[in-house]
Amino acid sequence: MTTTTTRFQSSVSGVRDDGAFVSTGRLVRAEWTKFRSVRRWILGVLAMAVLTVGMGLFIASGSGTDANTRPEEVTVGPGGARVHDVFQFTHRPLQGDGGITARVTSLKSADGREMAGWAKAGVIIKAGTKPGSTYAAVMVTPGHGVRLQSDFTNDVAGKSRAIPGWLRLVRAGTSVTGYESADGRTWRKVGTVTLPELPQRAEIGLFATSPGVFKVQREFGSTSVGQSTSVVAATFDGVDVQSRQQAASWNNTVVSPSRAGGDEFQGNDFQGTQSAGTFTLRGQGDIAPRPDGDDPVRLPFTGVMIGMIAAIALGVLFITAEYKRGMIRTSFAASPRRGRVLAAKAIVISAVTFATGLVATVILFFASQPVLRSGGFAPPAFPEPSLTEPRIMRAVVGTALFLALVAVFSLGVGTILRRSAGAIAGIITLLVLPTIIASALPISAATWMMRLTPAAGLSIQQTSRHYPQVESVCVPEDGCYYSEPWAGIGVLVAYTAVALGLAYWLLRRRDA
Amino acid sequence: MTRTLPIPTLLTRTLLTRTLYAEWTKLRTLPGSGWSFAGVVAVTVALSIAFTASVDAAHCPAPQGCHEDTTKLTLSGTWLGQAAVVVLAALVITNEHATRMIQTTLAATPRRAVVLFAKAVVVAGVVMAAAVLGVAGSLLTGRFFLEGNGFTAANGHPPLSLGSEPTLRAAFGTVLYLVLVGLLSLGAGALLRDTAGTITAVLTLFYIAPVAVQFVGDPHWRERLEKAAPSAGMAVQATRNLDRLPIGPWAGLGVLAAYAACALLAGGAAFIRRDP
Amino acid sequence: MNATIEVRGLRKRYGSTVAVDGLSFTVEPGQVTGFVGPNGAGKSSTMRMIMGMDRPDEGSALIGGRPYRTLRSPLCQVGALLDASAVHPGRRARDHLLWMAHSNGLPVRRVDEVIDLVGLRPVARRAAGGFSLGMRQRLGIAAALIGDPAVLMFDEPVNGLDPEGITWIRGLLRSLAAEGRAVLVSSHLMSELEGSADHLVVIGRGRVVADTSVQELLTAASSGRVMLRTGRRQEAMTVLANAGASVAANGPDTLTVSGLAAERIVALLNEGGVSFSGIAEHRASLEEAYMELTRDAVDFRGATGAAGGPGSADADGTAAGGAGGSASSSASAGREQR
Repeated sequence: MTTTTTRFQSSVSGVRDDGAFVSTGRLVRAEWTKFRSVRRWILGVLAMAVLTVGMGLFIASGSGTDANTRPEEVTVGPGGARVHDVFQFTHRPLQGDGGITARVTSLKSADGREMAGWAKAGVIIKAGTKPGSTYAAVMVTPGHGVRLQSDFTNDVAGKSRAIPGWLRLVRAGTSVTGYESADGRTWRKVGTVTLPELPQRAEIGLFATSPGVFKVQREFGSTSVGQSTSVVAATFDGVDVQSRQQAASWNNTVVSPSRAGGDEFQGNDFQGTQSAGTFTLRGQGDIAPRPDGDDPVRLPFTGVMIGMIAAIALGVLFITAEYKRGMIRTSFAASPRRGRVLAAKAIVISAVTFATGLVATVILFFASQPVLRSGGFAPPAFPEPSLTEPRIMRAVVGTALFLALVAVFSLGVGTILRRSAGAIAGIITLLVLPTIIASALPISAATWMMRLTPAAGLSIQQTSRHYPQVESVCVPEDGCYYSEPWAGIGVLVAYTAVALGLAYWLLRRRDA
Repeated sequence: MTRTLPIPTLLTRTLLTRTLYAEWTKLRTLPGSGWSFAGVVAVTVALSIAFTASVDAAHCPAPQGCHEDTTKLTLSGTWLGQAAVVVLAALVITNEHATRMIQTTLAATPRRAVVLFAKAVVVAGVVMAAAVLGVAGSLLTGRFFLEGNGFTAANGHPPLSLGSEPTLRAAFGTVLYLVLVGLLSLGAGALLRDTAGTITAVLTLFYIAPVAVQFVGDPHWRERLEKAAPSAGMAVQATRNLDRLPIGPWAGLGVLAAYAACALLAGGAAFIRRDP
Repeated sequence: MNATIEVRGLRKRYGSTVAVDGLSFTVEPGQVTGFVGPNGAGKSSTMRMIMGMDRPDEGSALIGGRPYRTLRSPLCQVGALLDASAVHPGRRARDHLLWMAHSNGLPVRRVDEVIDLVGLRPVARRAAGGFSLGMRQRLGIAAALIGDPAVLMFDEPVNGLDPEGITWIRGLLRSLAAEGRAVLVSSHLMSELEGSADHLVVIGRGRVVADTSVQELLTAASSGRVMLRTGRRQEAMTVLANAGASVAANGPDTLTVSGLAAERIVALLNEGGVSFSGIAEHRASLEEAYMELTRDAVDFRGATGAAGGPGSADADGTAAGGAGGSASSSASAGREQR
C-alpha cells in the first residue's frame, strides 16, 4: 500500500517574527485584552478615579482660609502676585531722572530679639507710598549681603557683605541702576532693572524693614509654625539726592496696607528720625513676594493618597493573579520572552492608570475650584489658577503620572513577591504611612523620610511658588520636602526602575 | 446495616474545643504563619526604634519644656504592625477560599458559626501574643533610646515603666488595638473572601482618616474624622494632654471595637448564609 | 446510625442554570453506588448539597437520616473526596490530616494509619503543593477515610491516577463496601465503574435517568435483541416484520431483530425457508447501555464527532447513532423528559 505524505500546513497564518517592537506591540494588545476582560479590574480603575476625586473634593471642602477676611490688607504687586510691602520709608519726591546715594552705618535689632537674615535697609525708588506699587531698591542685609531688588520678585546679589557700606540708585527713564561701594568713591554696578510702571514723579529715599523669624514647634503630633516679629534699626549718613529740582523736605511714612501701621504693630515699631545728617530708621515687615502659605491647588490632589490604593492593588494583581491560577505558564507559553511580557504589562497598566488618572485630576481640578473659593481661597489673596499655567499643569499631569508610576512599581513588586497579600499591604504602607507619621517626627527626620520613600513622588503636586529671597517654612507633610517638584518623581522613578529590573532578573532566573 | 465505630473519638471534647484545636493546628502548620508572626513583632519594634531614635530633647525649646508624649511615641510602631496584623488575620480566612480548602474545613466542621468563632479566637490569641512581644520590645528599646536622647527623669521624662498607670493603659490598650484590628480583618475577609480585596479595603479604612486629617484644614472636620474612623483606637496610646484629644483613650478603642464587631457580624452572616 | 444517603426532591439553580432538577435516590450500605452522568449533569452539585456545602433550593439530602450540617463529628460518619486540589499548597500532607483529626476529636494515630493506608508515607512530610495529581488524589482519599466513616463519597476518584492506582482504588472501593459501608462514586465515564459498581444512579440535566442495579441495566440494555447473520436479508426482514418484530439492517448480511425471542426467530426462518449463517443474543456493554440512556441528556456535545463520538467504540454497530430505529431500549426509564 502506498501512502503519500502531505506536508502539514497551518490554516492560521501570520506567525512571523517581526522583531522586538512589533512583537511587544502584539503582547501589549494581548495584555490589554487580559486587563479589560476582568470586570473587577475595570471597576478597580474606576474606583481609583472615584476615590481620588471624592477624597480630593472632601479635603477641599474641609479646608478654608481667612486670608480674604480683610481684603484691604491684601497687597498685590505689579505682577499680580500677593506681596508683602511694609516698611519704614523716609522719602522725598523725585521728578524725572535722578538718584540717591547713602551710607548704611549700621543695621541692628531694635527689640533685642534675633534678627532675620533677610532684614534689609537701603535706598529705594518707588512709585509712591501705596503698598504694592512698583519699586527698585539696593540694600544691605545681615545674612545675604548687598542686594538689588525690584518689583518684589527680582533679586540680584551684590558683592559686598560689609556694613557699613555705600549704596547708590540712579534712575534714567524707566531703568534704574544700583551700585555698591565700600568707600563711597569707587562704585561697582550691581545691576540695572526696568520698571515700566514707574511714573515721572516717584518717591525716593531710605527704608528699613525686617521679616519675622520663624519658629517651628512640633508637639503632641501637631506642628505650630510661629513667626515672631523682629524690629530693626538702621542708621544712614552721607545721604545725597541727585535731582534737577531744588531740595525738598524729607517725609516719614509707614508703608503698610493696614491703616496707620495697623493694630498688629507696636507704637515704636516704626520710626524715622534725622539729626545732623544722620538718619535713623526703625521698621519691620518686608518688601518681598508673599509665599502662598497654603497651597490651595495642591489640596484636592492629595486625594490621590487614597485613590492610589486602588492603583497599587491593580498593579500587584495584574501579575499575582496569573501566578495564583497558574495562568503565568500560559502567558509564557504564548510568549517565551518573559521580559517582553513584563514590559507589555507595564505599558498596559501605566497607560490605563495614567489615562484614567488624568481624566480624574482634570475633573478634580475644575470641580474643586468652586469648593475652594467658597472656603475662602479666592482672589485677591489667591489668584484664580488656570489649567494653562505650567505649575498647575504640572500638578494635574504629575498626579496622573504619579498614579501610573505607583501602578508600575506595584507590578514590579508583585512580580518579585508573586503573592498579592504581602505585596499590596507592603506597598500601601510604604506609600501612605510616611505622610501619616511625618507630622509626629522631627522636621529633619520627617523630611528625609519623605525624600527617600516612594511617596516622594507626591512632591510633584506642589504649586506654591518659592522665592530664595523669602524665608519660608514648609513642613515636609505639606509636600515641599523637595523644593524642585520633579525631584520627587525622580525618586519614584528610581524605585520603579529598581523594582522592574529586579523583577525582570528574577523572571528570567525563576521557573514559571 | 449499622456499623460500630472502631475509632475511640475524644468525645469528651466539645465541638468548640475540637474546632479551636483544628484551627490552631492549621495556622501553626502553615510555613507563612511564623513569618507573619515575626513580621508583626519586627516591624512594630523597628518603627518604634526609628521614632525614639530620631527625637532629641535638644529640639525642644527647653529640656523641661518638652511636651513629647514619650509613651505614645514609643508605641508608634503600631502604625506598621497593624498592616502585618491585617495580612495575617485576613489570610486566615481568605486563603482557605483561595485554595478551596474551605470545603474541607466545612466538611470537617459543618457549623459555620463555630468555624468562624474558632478562627476569631485563634486570630485574637496569635495577634495578642505578637502584640505583647511587639509592645514589650518597643517599650524596652524606647526606654533605652529616649534616655540617650535627653528624655531623662531630670527633664520630666521618667523612664517608661508599666508601673505608671497611663503607660500601662497605653501598652495594654495597644495590644487590644491590634487584636481588634485582627478581628476586623477576619470579619472583612469572611465578607469579601478575596485576599487582595480584603487587605486593600481594610488598609484603606485604616489609613483614610489619618491621611485626610493631614490635609483637611477645618478643625471640626478633623475632629469628626478622628472620632469616627477606626483609627480612633490609636487614642488609647496617649498619656499626656488627654483633655486635648479628640476622643478619649478608651472611647477611641470602643470605636474600633464597634467596627470590629460590625465586620465580624456582617462577615459571619455572609459566611453562614453563602455557599462556599 | 444508618449508613445511607437519602436524596429527596433536590433542586438547585445557579443563576439561570438549573443544575439539579428534582433529584431523588438512595445510596444503600454494603454496595458501591455509581453516580453517573455526562459533564454538567449535576453530579458535583448534588454531592456538594449532600455535604452541606451548598443549600438546596428545594428538597433535602440526608445522611443516616440527618442533614450534614447537624452532624457533630461528620468525619466519623461521612468521608468525602470532592476536590482533591482543595488543600493548602504550603501545608505538609501530614499536617493537613492532623488538623482534620483535631477538628473531629480523632486520635493522632489515625493520621498515620490513613497515611499508610493510601501509601503516602514517604511524602507525608512534604508540602502538598508539590504533589502530583495522583498524590493529591491519595491525600484526598486519606482525608475521606480519616474518621473511618460508614458513608463514603468520591467525586471522580480515578482522575489522574495511573493504571496501578486505578486498580488499587477499585479494590479499595469494593473492600470498603464489603465492610458494610455505603459508597457513592461519581464518574462521567461508565467504563470506569465497570467491575466496581453494584448499583447505578444515572443522571442527566439534573434529573435521574436511571436508578438500577448494574445487572438489571445490562439485561435491559441487551434484552430482546438478537443479531442475525444471513445472505438473504430481504426475505428474512419480510418474514420477521410480518411476525411483529422490528428489524434493522446493520450491514450487507447482518440484521438486528428486536421484539422476538431467538427460538421464535429460528422457527420463523425455518418455516419461511430462509437460510441463515448465525444467530446470537446481543450482550450490551455498560458503556453502551449508558449511551442509550443519556443520549438525550448530554448537555455539551461536540460539533462533529471527530474523535470519540458517541458510540464509536462499538464493534457491533448496533448503537451507531439512530441508523435504523433499532435502539428502542426498554430500559429507558428516563425518557419522559423528552
